[in-house]
Amino acid sequence: MLELKDLHGGYGKITILNGVNFVIPKASITTVIGPNGAGKSTVFKAIFGLLNIHSGQVLLDGQDVTRASPAQMIGHGVTYVPQGRNVIPQLSVWHNLELGGITSPDQARVRARMEEVMDQFPMLRQRRNQKAIELSGGQQKQLEIARALLLDPRLILIDEPSIGLSPNLVQEVFATLIRLRDQGVTVLMVEQNAKAALAMSDYGLVLELGQTRMHDRAETLLADPRVGHLFLGGHIEEG
Amino acid sequence: MSQFLQVLLSGLSTGSIYALAAIGFTLVWQAAQTVNFAQGEFVMLPAFFVLIGIHWLHMPLWLALIFGLIVAVIVLGLLFKKLIVEPMLPNGGLPLIIATMALSILLKEGTKQFYGAEAQPYPSLFPQTTLHMDGAVVSVQDLLNLVVSLTIVVALTLFLNRTRTGRCMQATAQNPAVAEILGVNTKRMVLYTFLINAALAALASFLISPVYLAKFSNGETLGLVAFIAAIVGGFNQIRGALAGGLLIGVLDNLTATYVTTEYRAALPLVLLIVIILWRPQGLLGTSEGRKV
Ligand SMILES: Nc1ncnc2c1ncn2[C@@H]1O[C@H](COP(=O)(O)OP(=O)(O)OP(=O)(O)O)[C@@H](O)[C@H]1O
Ligand SMILES: [Mg+2]
Repeated sequence: MLELKDLHGGYGKITILNGVNFVIPKASITTVIGPNGAGKSTVFKAIFGLLNIHSGQVLLDGQDVTRASPAQMIGHGVTYVPQGRNVIPQLSVWHNLELGGITSPDQARVRARMEEVMDQFPMLRQRRNQKAIELSGGQQKQLEIARALLLDPRLILIDEPSIGLSPNLVQEVFATLIRLRDQGVTVLMVEQNAKAALAMSDYGLVLELGQTRMHDRAETLLADPRVGHLFLGGHIEEG
Repeated sequence: MSQFLQVLLSGLSTGSIYALAAIGFTLVWQAAQTVNFAQGEFVMLPAFFVLIGIHWLHMPLWLALIFGLIVAVIVLGLLFKKLIVEPMLPNGGLPLIIATMALSILLKEGTKQFYGAEAQPYPSLFPQTTLHMDGAVVSVQDLLNLVVSLTIVVALTLFLNRTRTGRCMQATAQNPAVAEILGVNTKRMVLYTFLINAALAALASFLISPVYLAKFSNGETLGLVAFIAAIVGGFNQIRGALAGGLLIGVLDNLTATYVTTEYRAALPLVLLIVIILWRPQGLLGTSEGRKV
């Protein structure tokens, strides 16, 4: 569904990605893990057209979308929830949600989807007229996820959704992602909370120093002692 | 009492015109981190575009006003953004500030060379008559200036809050990175902000010039007042800039009438110092500031 072929890229002249390769199948959840600074978030930016790509390819269902702009990626059915806080602080919850469909020519459909998405996240309906900045961190994250679902994406890139969320909310977010997967959406996620994330994922991907180190079924990675070692801050030994 | 009302109205009237310039100033600051030190000249110049329309192109006033507005939007909006802000911004804030200072001198001296140093009579938009209401004598021009400026502010606020384009402009100003990943055409939104600023400056120019006459040096006070009104208002919101503009206009007129005209020019500066000491986040501002 999504394929990265020997992707090299970085910020300006600084190279961060040194050959990222993977293929992820449709309607699956893949978790990317790796040490801090490995380039996990950078891979997402590369896919979403926010990075200087030096060489390599990004393919979406076989179509070359390398260097497509964020607006074009949205047009291809990809949405992105970056790390950290990503709301428009002074706009209402409702208007933040609306921005998730801003590229769509069919605004009547966007309205309808806003109602549907608020059914999934009832908190948003209760607070629809509040400014986004007034929401708690967890509520803001829910708003961001809801916003990313507005245009029925086929692929959702979600970077560390659990940061700042209570364990209950993390379970809720994971449940949402599983439901999406069951509806046919492909999920690519970065998660610090690697054990819990791999446990609910189909596939896992280990990234180190801007390269794919391991890519396997999630349960295989969970059982791999090298991955366990990595969680404790170590590196994967060659060979 | 009736004199007080008159002074108050005329203060609100000039104050609302200052507010137009101050609002443009804050919009451009928010959208492009540009502190435009030529803002005063942006208000000075469009009146001369109108005079060119009248004197050189022999246009009737209404046409000259439209001509002035269009030229202002192109020169002070589009060209300002493309030729000065875009090339300078990547070098950081300071070079851009210096560039706008240089531009302010260029516009001022250019106008002086081109149109002369004397104040040019400038056609009034409204009848120069007075209304007698309950013993108070009210200038029709003051009243209409206030009504027109406030209408412009209300229209702008409605545009920014009630239209999708307006909300995309707000999103771009408040969090450009997020606006971009949502597919907002952020470059275009920033451009709109510059065009709106130029239009606001032009409208302020058309309203204030019948009062001050068109003079190359008008921008000195106007720019300072707009800057101070923006800071007084908290620098990042429309209603703050509006309140700041009105406050300066009223205080200015009250001191000139009841205290002295001698220190009139110093008043906005005194106000600035008081506000910075007492409420550094601005009159209506909140301390959360800008999230980058
Ligand atoms: N905007 C930027 N400009 C320059 N370098 C950057 C930028 N963003 C990240 N980097 C660098 O790129 C490298 C990879 O960063 P990235 O954010 O992708 O790591 P990560 O794997 O997501 O880490 P974390 O677990 O901390 O989120 C780091 O060395 C970082 O310093
Ligand atoms: Mg990261």
